[in-house]
This record gives sequence, C-alpha cells and structure tokens, in this order.
Amino acid sequence: MTTKIIELGPHQLALEEPMYFRVQLEGDRVADLDVLPGQVHRGMEHLVMRRNLYQNITLLERLCSLCSNSHPSTFCAAVEEVAGIAIPPRAEYLRAVADEIKRIASHLFCCAVQANAIGEIPLFRRVMEVREIMQRAKEAIYGNRMDLAANVIGGVRYDLPPEAIAYLYQAMEDMKKPLDELYLQFANNPALMARMAWVGVLPSEAAVECAVVGPVARACGIDYDVRKKSPYGAYDRLDFEVAMQTAGDVRARNLVRLAEARQSVSLIEQCLAQLPAGPLCVDTLPEIPAGEAIAKSEAPRGELMYYLRTDGSDFPVRLKWRVPSYMNWDALKVMLKGEPVANIPLIVNSIDPCIACTDR
Amino acid sequence: MTDCTETMTDCAETMPDCAETMPDCAETMPERNNPTSDDLPTAPLSPRERVPEGRVRDAFEDGVAAALAMAAGEETTVTWRRDRKGVSTGWCRLPSGEALLPAARAVAELHGRLAMVTPYLPERAKERGEREIAYHFDLDGATLTLTVVLPLEWARVPSLTPIFRNCDWHERELMELYDVQVVGHPDPRRLFLDHTLPHAPFERLVPYSTFTNAATSKALWDKVLAGEREDA
Repeated sequence: MTTKIIELGPHQLALEEPMYFRVQLEGDRVADLDVLPGQVHRGMEHLVMRRNLYQNITLLERLCSLCSNSHPSTFCAAVEEVAGIAIPPRAEYLRAVADEIKRIASHLFCCAVQANAIGEIPLFRRVMEVREIMQRAKEAIYGNRMDLAANVIGGVRYDLPPEAIAYLYQAMEDMKKPLDELYLQFANNPALMARMAWVGVLPSEAAVECAVVGPVARACGIDYDVRKKSPYGAYDRLDFEVAMQTAGDVRARNLVRLAEARQSVSLIEQCLAQLPAGPLCVDTLPEIPAGEAIAKSEAPRGELMYYLRTDGSDFPVRLKWRVPSYMNWDALKVMLKGEPVANIPLIVNSIDPCIACTDR
Repeated sequence: MTDCTETMTDCAETMPDCAETMPDCAETMPERNNPTSDDLPTAPLSPRERVPEGRVRDAFEDGVAAALAMAAGEETTVTWRRDRKGVSTGWCRLPSGEALLPAARAVAELHGRLAMVTPYLPERAKERGEREIAYHFDLDGATLTLTVVLPLEWARVPSLTPIFRNCDWHERELMELYDVQVVGHPDPRRLFLDHTLPHAPFERLVPYSTFTNAATSKALWDKVLAGEREDA
C-alpha cells in the first residue's frame, strides 16, 4: 500500500470559504489529516477591543453570514448580564424569532450544499427553493437577506406589526410540507442513503472527547442543546424536543438539522402566538459597570459562547467568543479516517463548516 | 431527586476527610458520591421547574466547590451567580498557577467539558505586571470559570490538552496571540497566523495590513508592484 500526502483546498472540497487540508492517504483511504486554518483570520478579537460596545454589535454581525444573528444577540446578552439589564418580554420573543428564522435558513443551506457535493443537483435546487421562503421572509421583515440588524443592547430594533405576523404565519405554513418531505427524502431516498449512511461516522465516545456541540453532537446521541440546558431569552417558555439521532454519520447529522428546522417552524409559531405587548427595548441604559459575564446561545451549529470583561468604560477590556465550528475540525480527523478520498468533500460539508467564524 | 440531594450533601461533608488520600479517592469518586452530570436535574424537569433555586442546584454548586477545594487547595473558593433564568455561572480564581492542573483534573472528574480559554491583559496590566487566563468549563449547562493570574513576562502555564483533547487549538491560539508559554503542549505550531507575522500580536502594535497579510490597502499594491518589478 502506498502512502501519499495530498493538499486539498476550497475548490476540491466544494467550500465557499477558504480552508486547507493536508491529507495523508494509505492507498485511496484517508489515514491522517492536518487542518490548516487562518486563511481569513482578520484579528477580530483585537478589533472589538478598539471599538465601543455599541459599534461592536455592527462588527460582530459581520463576523459570519449564516449565524449572523447569533453573534450580536449573544454579545448583547453578555453586556446585559454585566449591566444587570432585563430586556422586555416582547424583545425576548423577537430575538427568538430572528434566531429561529436564521436557523432554518442555515440548516437548509447546509443540506443543499451536501446535495450539491454528491451531484444531486435537482435536490440541491429543491432545498434552496424551500430556503428561499425564509430568505424572502428575512428580506420582508428585516430588509436584508443575511444580516438582520435585529439586536440592540437592552432589546431589539425591529417590531412585528399585525400584518408582518400574518405574513410570517403564512410563511411558516408554507415551510411545513416541504420540510417534512425533505426529512423523508434525506431519511429514506436510496440514492442519498448510499452516499450518506455509515459515511463519516463519529462514535459518541469520540464526540465527547472532541467536545463537539450542536447537530454534530446530537447526531451521536449527545443530548445537549443550550436552549434546554441553559435557557435564555424566551426559550424557557417555548415547548420543543431536542432533535436526536444515534448513528453519528452524515445522514444522522442531516436528519437532526431537518428535524430542528421543522421545530424552528413550530417555535416561531409559538413565539407569534405568545408574543406579549410592550416595549421593544429598555428606555434608558444604565452605565455599563466593570465586571465579567458569560453568555451562551444555541447558534445553528451549536453552543456559541461569549465572555465579556469590562472596566466601566465603553470599550471592552476583553471580548472573547468560541464558535461551535471550532471543535468540529478536530472531529473531522475521526470522521475521515478510513474513508475514500471521494467522500472527503461530503464529510467536510456535513459538519456545516463555518470558516469565517473559526478564524475570526 | 431527593436521593440525589442527600448524596451530594454527604459528599460535601466527607470530602475534607479524604483530602489526604486524594489520588485513591478521586478514582472512586464518580460512582460513589460525587455529583456527576448524570445526577443533575435536567431531562425530567420542565424548563419552568428549573428556574427556582432548588436544593439540587445548591448541592451541585457546593459539590463542585468542594471538589475544587480538595484538588487545588483549601483557599480555592467558587462564587456562584444565577441569571434571571436560573442558569448558574461559577467564578473561581485559583490561588496559584500550580493549582491549574489539579483543578482541571477535578473538573474532568465531574464530567466537565472545556468550553473556551480566554487569555487577556486585565485593566492596568502593565502597572500590576499581571496577565490572566480564564478557562471556561461546561458542567451540564452551568459554566465554571477558573482564572489563573500569571506574571506579564515569562508567563508559563501547563498544557491541559492531555486532559481535554479540545484544548489543543485553544492553547495553540493562546500561544501565538499572547506572550505565554504553554508547557507540555503536544503540537505547539502556529494555528491561524502566518509565520511572517511577529510573535504575540495582541500585545504589540502590528499594522492591520500586515496582520491580514496585506489582503487590503496600500500594502497589497506595494507587494503587487514589487512583484512586477522583479518580473521585468
């Protein structure tokens, strides 16, 4: 058996962002892997210390496109925790609506990219077509298809008037049947089964060791969802089940995502039904005192964590965050071991990689 | 649930006794009397029931504090805060850098997951000659932060990668951005930064165009034009 080292970049891996891999092969199988990140390192953790807390909301929303609402909302939660600000109940629900809309769009994008990676172009088109309902909803409500600019410290900066609520209800209704169909297709379609079942398996012990979170962890039977474990915002009043699978393969990860997207539809409907009247944001903000706080949220890819330290000025002493993708790269070593080269693009995309988030 | 509370309280009481025989005791602890993540009130309770300050949470918090005190020294105390939703965050300043390894092992025994590592220069770092590193752990939804205080110069910390595999990237990032040596790291290469960049850029002024490898601005054009001259 010959040993060979090849280098793969975003072109070969069907990635829309730059990430490089040095893959050691035994014959046509992967023996080992070295991940080479840093191609989009922008020093953002340094930049946030040179901007005040209000400017940072705008900067953090531009960290990444697919989870662009999770960053500012979690950052705002950290500031609110340091300053002891209780955001109005209506704002809690509106933050949840924005997060869940982004979650559906993000999960569908991941499933579409994988369909594309295995040459199932009609399926790719279909998933993107379904996702388009959410993109239009974002454009209609927030005025933008990616960055929603929904958060401020102390609440939100958008409202849902009655006609927007009716529109969103209709959009959710339009999502249900296609999402159920997509779930069945990813679960049972023989062509997809052949490519995705028992491929890129991450055993649950390895998942614990690699400390993965989000859909990658839940596909291995790890019952961890920040919305349940450390409830924040409106999630302590919303009813949902944590989507779980046990196989730990590419198929299981996609089934978790599609089940979650379907639950997000239900969560948005619950938010709209329960939406309390009242202000969108606290009237006056207190001075932000010196202090430190942790804020966590369940971003589309899993647990997102922020640490904020302040000294009484408007500038953070330190603002650090860890994205869920950060641990997934290491888990790829386990998933790819023994897999044929042809499966590498699919498996890499199955962790829903977010490179702008990882590099910062 | 009631059983759980009782065993946890017992655990806190018996811990000081076994402090001397710690290594043996630590091995047998998880199944006997230590609060593990399985004992925590999560799945069977609805979110609404989790919010009030239950005795189980108190016992859990006391148990974690006792385990840390046993591992890292009597003077190690944990301050717990609960937010409006009842989510706990524990804050612990370790008495010394040497306490980090035993404290981290104690967290691993409690089935803690390393969530994040935050190196930083605190307020008036230069005056005080101090820097800090905060290690954040997840304990089934609660977050425990262990903070070590290190000298500004010649700072060294032991690597936690042998205990928590995912500490690997956190420590590689820490080593390239800050002037801290991580002792015993299995793979101390740079992670994100190019080798042409100076060491520890978060502690010194590095022009942004250098930092981003001249991906933008005048520096990029200078490079392009220099390349053209070489070709000519």
